[in-house]
Amino acid sequence: MTNKPKNLVVVVWLAFILPIAVLAQKNEEIFRAAGSPHNPKVQVAFNKYYTAEGLAAIGKKIADAYPNLVKRFSIGKSTEGRDIWMLAVTNYKIGNADDKPGFYLDGNIHSNEIQGGEFSIYTAWYLTESFNSIAHIKNLLDERVFYIVPTINPDARNNYMLEANTGSSPRAGMIKLDDDRDGLFDEDGYDDLNGDGSITQMRRKSDDGNMIIDPKDPRVMIRIEPDDVVTAQRYEYLGQEGLDNDNDGRINEDRPGYYDPNRDWAWKWQPDYIQRGAYKYPFSAPENRAVADFVLKHPNIAGAQSYHNSGGMILRGPGAKEDIDTYNREDVRIYDAIGKKGEKIIPGYRYLTVYKDLYSVFGGELDWFYGGRGIYTFTNELFTAYAYYKDKNGGRDQIYSFDKDLMFGDGFTPWETFNHPNYGEIEIGGFKKNVGRATPGFLLEEEAHRNMAFTLYHAHHMPRLSISDLTEKSLGGGLIEVTATVKNDRLMPTHASQDLKYKITRPDYVQITGAKVIAGMLVTDADFGVTEEQQVNPDTIEVTNIPGNSVVKVRWILKGNSNYTVTVDSEKGGIATRKKGKNN
Amino acid sequence: MIQKKSLLGGWFCICICLFSISTVAQTDYQNYSELTKKLKSLQSKHPRQAKLQSLTKTIGGYDIWALTLSSGQAQDNPAIAIVGGVDGSLVLSTEMAVQMAETILSEHADILKTTTFYIFPNMSPNASEHYFAALKYPLTGNAKKTDDDRDGKINEDPFEDLNNDGLITLIRVEDMTGDYVMLEEDERIMVKADDQKGELGTYKVFSEGIDNDKDGAYNEDDEGGVSFNKNFTYNYQYFQPGVGEHAVSEKENRALLDFLYEQWNLYAILTLGPTNNLSSPLKYNAANAKKRVVTSILKNDEQLNQFLSKKYNTITKTKDAPSATGKGGGFFEWSYFHFGKLAMSTPGWWAPKYKGDSIVKAAKNSDANFLQWAKQEGLSDYFVPWKTINHPDFPNKKVEVGGIAPYKMYNPPYNLVEAISKKHTDFILEIAKLQPKITLQNIHVEKVNNELTRVTVAVHNNGFLPTHTEMGKKSRWLRSIKVGLELKQGQEIISGKKIQLIPSIDGDSSIEVTWLLKGRGTVEITAGAAHTGSDSTTINLK
Repeated sequence: MTNKPKNLVVVVWLAFILPIAVLAQKNEEIFRAAGSPHNPKVQVAFNKYYTAEGLAAIGKKIADAYPNLVKRFSIGKSTEGRDIWMLAVTNYKIGNADDKPGFYLDGNIHSNEIQGGEFSIYTAWYLTESFNSIAHIKNLLDERVFYIVPTINPDARNNYMLEANTGSSPRAGMIKLDDDRDGLFDEDGYDDLNGDGSITQMRRKSDDGNMIIDPKDPRVMIRIEPDDVVTAQRYEYLGQEGLDNDNDGRINEDRPGYYDPNRDWAWKWQPDYIQRGAYKYPFSAPENRAVADFVLKHPNIAGAQSYHNSGGMILRGPGAKEDIDTYNREDVRIYDAIGKKGEKIIPGYRYLTVYKDLYSVFGGELDWFYGGRGIYTFTNELFTAYAYYKDKNGGRDQIYSFDKDLMFGDGFTPWETFNHPNYGEIEIGGFKKNVGRATPGFLLEEEAHRNMAFTLYHAHHMPRLSISDLTEKSLGGGLIEVTATVKNDRLMPTHASQDLKYKITRPDYVQITGAKVIAGMLVTDADFGVTEEQQVNPDTIEVTNIPGNSVVKVRWILKGNSNYTVTVDSEKGGIATRKKGKNN
Repeated sequence: MIQKKSLLGGWFCICICLFSISTVAQTDYQNYSELTKKLKSLQSKHPRQAKLQSLTKTIGGYDIWALTLSSGQAQDNPAIAIVGGVDGSLVLSTEMAVQMAETILSEHADILKTTTFYIFPNMSPNASEHYFAALKYPLTGNAKKTDDDRDGKINEDPFEDLNNDGLITLIRVEDMTGDYVMLEEDERIMVKADDQKGELGTYKVFSEGIDNDKDGAYNEDDEGGVSFNKNFTYNYQYFQPGVGEHAVSEKENRALLDFLYEQWNLYAILTLGPTNNLSSPLKYNAANAKKRVVTSILKNDEQLNQFLSKKYNTITKTKDAPSATGKGGGFFEWSYFHFGKLAMSTPGWWAPKYKGDSIVKAAKNSDANFLQWAKQEGLSDYFVPWKTINHPDFPNKKVEVGGIAPYKMYNPPYNLVEAISKKHTDFILEIAKLQPKITLQNIHVEKVNNELTRVTVAVHNNGFLPTHTEMGKKSRWLRSIKVGLELKQGQEIISGKKIQLIPSIDGDSSIEVTWLLKGRGTVEITAGAAHTGSDSTTINLK
């Protein structure tokens, strides 16, 4: 009875704050489309890109709307002092978040490879908005935790968006470096001569040029072949828009950077002269250090994805051919199973291995995650020319007709004359920076969803442990033999082969409490009663690994009857408990 | 009156104390706070030439000191770095670095007009303090909590001083299942039984302690920490004890590299550490030099190293150095393979070989030979005699504690330190004299016609050393030699470049640069890079 006034207050208060959710549309006005959050609390348009601040603001909205599902915090500061925001998404009402198997997800390590930011935010948004309506998502968030960092490169993400750039610049973060070794730092970058916000191409009419304009499409330049008889005006290419800012006779030779944040990771790191793009030492970019420090403190992370662009690839390591021995057959089997599923989930994407299908490089993020931490990791190269006409055989040149047919010319700055201080009269034009690598707006949400679905599949197959069976046998003389079966019903083991080889994470502990333990042992062959006794601290049996889709059995000899509890505690596999006489 | 008297008396006492500190000869190595005091006094004695700064505070709470020696703007002259305490058990190296700084300041200050020295006396202060602790054992790690055997438990099996002598040595257990035997030429030394000689092991040998966690391994997870000299990127030994969770994970490693990467004037690094490429040079291996991941000194640098070795052996008059190559993750290897500087490393001292005489034959085993040398020198405390103890892990067996005392094999008696430091100062001064030095020579101004002047200069390296090691040419951390023209209004370049970058110039060699210039008046020509020095000249267009 005394509670009543209090409840009333709560009701009134709730009614008062509910209008916060008015962003959501009235239910009677809409009809559910299968596969998407029906009436999300947080409205986000997934047909555009967001700056670092834009992503941060959406992340905050999601965290504010779902305090029981999201904790938002900064894992460190960027070179220019921006926060690197993480959304840790799980059902905080069940278990301790950092004890659950963790999945790490980031985007945008390469500054111009932006859509990983939106895809990561989409994932956080979809998980939270679907938690109450999709049982599979609820289970995922009950059992797993997702550590999502939409951009691990906020400074240069903004530089890409807000400054004049090509579709491929900048790749580096914002630490200034002396690329041409002349003692000056970043003294000759691009110059946006036509003021369109993008760095396009420079060309010049030239009687000795080796290009002509395609008579059927003035946007296109054609190379003159040796036997061609050319009557049209010849042109020469002069490279990307810019000036010789430092008067050294070269144009754009010391742009922001250059170091490659994805050559900065600690597994088999090599210096710049061996691995172009390496900076001072592993994690010398502060953004990467923030990630590494977080990962080192979270040994529960068992799976990871780092979004790049482009090309439609689902990449696994090794990055360098010298590192081939780091991946053994057992691991490749697991990577293959997940990667092949990805090819189906994301049409147009191919499952590939970095060193043999892309290039052989040292110091990549995925290499450290696997080699240095034993975490099964993929890098998706987002967006592929397949998307233009859903055609596997179409090449990159489809962009010309795609721009005309579907974007109505939005992607191209027409050629216009310009008086260049070094080159004289030239023409400037070409595709804008948001074309070619960044997914066009109207294709963004579908690609985000498919990549997320792949990532959720990957996360689904992180180890999941239970005590699936607990049996007792009397040995006489007051001694009781208890056998516990620990089951991992997912694809990944609690320790990848790399983890086992180097003991990266500790063994799994299977512990019995509430009983007087006389002896404890690992059962290596249940049928023939073969066991290995653990003489020291027999209450807690140390198990080196619980493989995927299999069981491990441990056994104790107890003195007298007791109401014991058995707990398996695995860094990557989580914690599961079972009491005597109770089901899971 | 009485009060006054006592005050005076107090002053008198303080004076006496100060006096005694400054006159009583040092008899043993100095600890962190004594060396810190010493560094601060160097700075106050030489305020214009010595600048002391802390690069960082380690997690153990020690400052990492950097002492810059220069008479002028430090960054304006080519520089040499001297790095001590790379291995915390080599207390000699820290002492050497400080004494070398002191000698340069007090006896060779002239060199500071042309060469800058960056001196880092102790990179492992946490470890070196163990030398001064009640229980001595040569740790090399910092204060980071580490799980050395990676079993999920931290520091669960430390060392124990079983014979209460303040030293950690060895235990030997009489046991037919063991695979150790006593060395024939000196039964105090335990060695593995030699199958080839048909020897049968009769002892087990462990480090002094108890198997606290009953895992069969002795003292495998002590306080450990991360070792400075195992935490670098070259040939880093993943997940081994003391290496850290990844390369350059530790504050002091990062702080030093961040500092060095900023010193564009740095051309050489002398590491006072366990590796030795000065007594005998690194050897070139064509296959390893040509691999993508380079693991051999490059051909031209081998010759340079041979030259440095000759200088070292002549100046320091040392010989018979045990071969000492890096074990992975080392600072010296980083300074060459990953930084590209002129890289030198020496432990500074090793026990001279005992040659034997007509009565006593020299032992072949290095430990036994070392003990012969110690005896010859009349040194005590070099060996802890084997003594039977009761060991809880071996209740019914004969267990003894003993062995060579920690630190003694790698750090000389303190009275030798001054001479060692002086010789190494002489060596590094010689290197400074050979440093690259860019000058403009043979400046030739030639009138082509009324409008045009041809200017030709030789950009010459007056130094004996090349401006770049062969590895340095590849490194992004050494600048090119920049040759530039400062043009005024009305002047124009007809041929040649306003700014020209030359990748490197060998010792005592030149590169000729020429321009065709239009106009009148004076033009300034500058050439150089931070680590080679610069030269400039003004010419008149004719």
